[in-house]
Amino acid sequence: MIISNKIQKLISNQEGWTRRMFEEGLRIKKEYGEENVYDFSLGNPDTEPPDEVQKTLIETLSNPIKGMHRYMSNNGYEDVREEIAIYLGEQYGLPFTANHIFMTVGCAGGLNILLKSMLSTGDEVIVPSPFFWEFKNYIENHGGKTRFVQTKKDFQLDIGKIEKAITKKTKAILLNSPNNPTGAVYTEESVRGLVELLNKKRAQGQDIYIICDDAYRKIVYDGFQLPNLFALYDLVYAVTSHSKDLALPGERIGYVAISPRIEGYQLMVSALMISMRTLGFVNAPGLFQRIAGKFQRTSVNIAEYQKKRDFLYNTLMEAGFECVKPVGAFYMFPKSPIADEVEFVRVLQQEEQIMVVPGRGFGRKGYFRIAYCVPMETLQKSVGGFMRTGKRYNLR
Amino acid sequence: MSISKSISHSMKSSSWIRAMFEEGEKMKKKHGPENILDFTLGNPITEPPKEFIEELTRLVSSDIKGMHRYMSNSGYEFVREEIADYCTKKSRLPFTKDHIIMTVGAAGGLNVVFKALLDPGNEVIVPNPYFVEFMFYIGNHGGVMKLVETKDDFHLDIASIEKAINKKTRAILINSPNNPTGVVYTEEELKELAWVLRKKRDKGQRIFLIADEAYRKLIYNGTVLPDVFNIYEDTIVVTCHSKDLGLAGERIGYIAASPSITNIKPLMDAMIFANRILGFINAPAIMQRVVGKFQNSSVDMMEYERRRDAIYAILVESGFEVIKPLGAFYIFPKSPIPDDIQFVRELQKHHILGVPGIGFGRAGHFRLAYCVEMDVIERSRKYFMELGGR
Repeated sequence: MIISNKIQKLISNQEGWTRRMFEEGLRIKKEYGEENVYDFSLGNPDTEPPDEVQKTLIETLSNPIKGMHRYMSNNGYEDVREEIAIYLGEQYGLPFTANHIFMTVGCAGGLNILLKSMLSTGDEVIVPSPFFWEFKNYIENHGGKTRFVQTKKDFQLDIGKIEKAITKKTKAILLNSPNNPTGAVYTEESVRGLVELLNKKRAQGQDIYIICDDAYRKIVYDGFQLPNLFALYDLVYAVTSHSKDLALPGERIGYVAISPRIEGYQLMVSALMISMRTLGFVNAPGLFQRIAGKFQRTSVNIAEYQKKRDFLYNTLMEAGFECVKPVGAFYMFPKSPIADEVEFVRVLQQEEQIMVVPGRGFGRKGYFRIAYCVPMETLQKSVGGFMRTGKRYNLR
Repeated sequence: MSISKSISHSMKSSSWIRAMFEEGEKMKKKHGPENILDFTLGNPITEPPKEFIEELTRLVSSDIKGMHRYMSNSGYEFVREEIADYCTKKSRLPFTKDHIIMTVGAAGGLNVVFKALLDPGNEVIVPNPYFVEFMFYIGNHGGVMKLVETKDDFHLDIASIEKAINKKTRAILINSPNNPTGVVYTEEELKELAWVLRKKRDKGQRIFLIADEAYRKLIYNGTVLPDVFNIYEDTIVVTCHSKDLGLAGERIGYIAASPSITNIKPLMDAMIFANRILGFINAPAIMQRVVGKFQNSSVDMMEYERRRDAIYAILVESGFEVIKPLGAFYIFPKSPIPDDIQFVRELQKHHILGVPGIGFGRAGHFRLAYCVEMDVIERSRKYFMELGGR
């Protein structure tokens, strides 16, 4: 074999049905024309970065500073980290400094350097399911093991199940709220339950870290306030990116924030430096670090996303689907009308040219994911398709 | 605080680097940073070409939609096409966009290649002295680095390489122009290497030649970098624009796989997949768009060549034994005493910061990165003369 057995296995494990679906999608796009296919399969927002971001980008390039495209420290520009620390200090009420911030190549890059820095071979990370499939790859990249724990019916944390899943090897729990694929946001109650459990473990001598994938942190609806995890628990790392809030996914910019309450955190900073270097990231892209520093308080128009969520949710309800109303991110995770959701997804594609992703791609069969970060027009044009599908399966 | 065992191990084994670094910082504080001549960092000093910045500014000012969104994990198709065209012209081999993957620099690219190729225990041969990060890039993905000493002139020792090959050998990683020696491998020695690898291939063992060409355009005296694609079939080149376009901090590079690789599709798919799961996802979008158009450009190499000539002259004049580099911006003189760490400490006392050869696998030498202001090189003369004992 030309490639490693390890990667071959990884590819074949997950790419079977995705590839089939992808190819089927291409075929359908060809047959019906791109504009007549409703593609809800990708979390690639159609929004542009806010105007002031674009303006600052032009200004930055028009007034070049000598050496601005050179290497800098592996954790990023100090002034940028300083700005982010001030913002986080205000947000969470904790004494963040520039040293608690580590600029990364997006959230994915941030999670990889953090996991590499934390995990020894065989260490376990708990991941509430349904989950973003890449988490499993990120954890296994660095010799870790993923322990999936199903969430409750409303996709909130099941503390009892988490407690059962903890072993001596549990190093961390990886939370993603607002969640991909469910759009759920963990409530204060959910999080307090978890913290209570982890503090109990701490008292017994086992430190379990919470890693928050905060990629969708700013995309929260109905004025919901995210619980302040940094205030609730001591051992917290937050990893975030500006892919969604500043609509810069292609530019790969994000950061890791280390809780000021973690004792001896400097050791972790040194470890992150090594991981950043040796995994080949070296540093976060210089130009966009400068942008990130200036726009911590900015966000793309969340009201637009909320409108889309409301529209899609109402459509699904009217068509008779069963679905938990998402409070954040831009995903919805309805129940499939039939147990075999891959078959359902295929029917949806062939009969209605609607493209979605089967739930098993997120560790939960019998569901499907709709990514509604698409133009409103696409949502409007897909209404008929969802309605007919509701009828086809006698949902009404 | 709890960190991974392997990271903790790396930290301990590199503690002397920190100690030296701290000593250097102390010197800077004591004498003022302007009085310390720092030759430790390979941070290119040249700014990107003017036209590059103009094009970049034009792009961000344009109203192209979706310019900052995700694209395919392999990078923009049109950029890969531009790079494939460049490769085709250079190598006269039929490169297409499907042979190119845009990466987060060469460091990102090498991690992607090794993740795609290596199973636990697979070996990668690396000629010594070597860029120490290679050990990590290989080890990250379960591979084992097998160092093979180069000859006294830092050129490949083909017989030793042949001896080092065993059933587990999956690849050989070369870096020419070389960090830390500045050596450029000749066409002849690379052909000999290819001959050895082909012999193995005929017996059913496929060994990839991975060429880290991060310094490919930093090459002096009209030296021509041999085209590895035309020397060996199973060749993967990894490069970046940190040096030639002065974009080190922007993390942009690419992988080019030879059109002569048979059954290449699974390999490309695996590398694209690795680019995703290692967390790179894609190379920074805006830089992709620009570098495609600047494959033929480069920062002013004369700047570096002048510095090479100056530092080389100083070292020779002060009696150091040193091989004249033909590329990159490093020089790797012999230490006058066997203990290179001790010697680098001596250098520090004379206001010069360098890196001991042991940091590159070869004791008894030291590395100077001469990508510094010309004035720093000039001022170093006095101290090298003091040290050289002439």
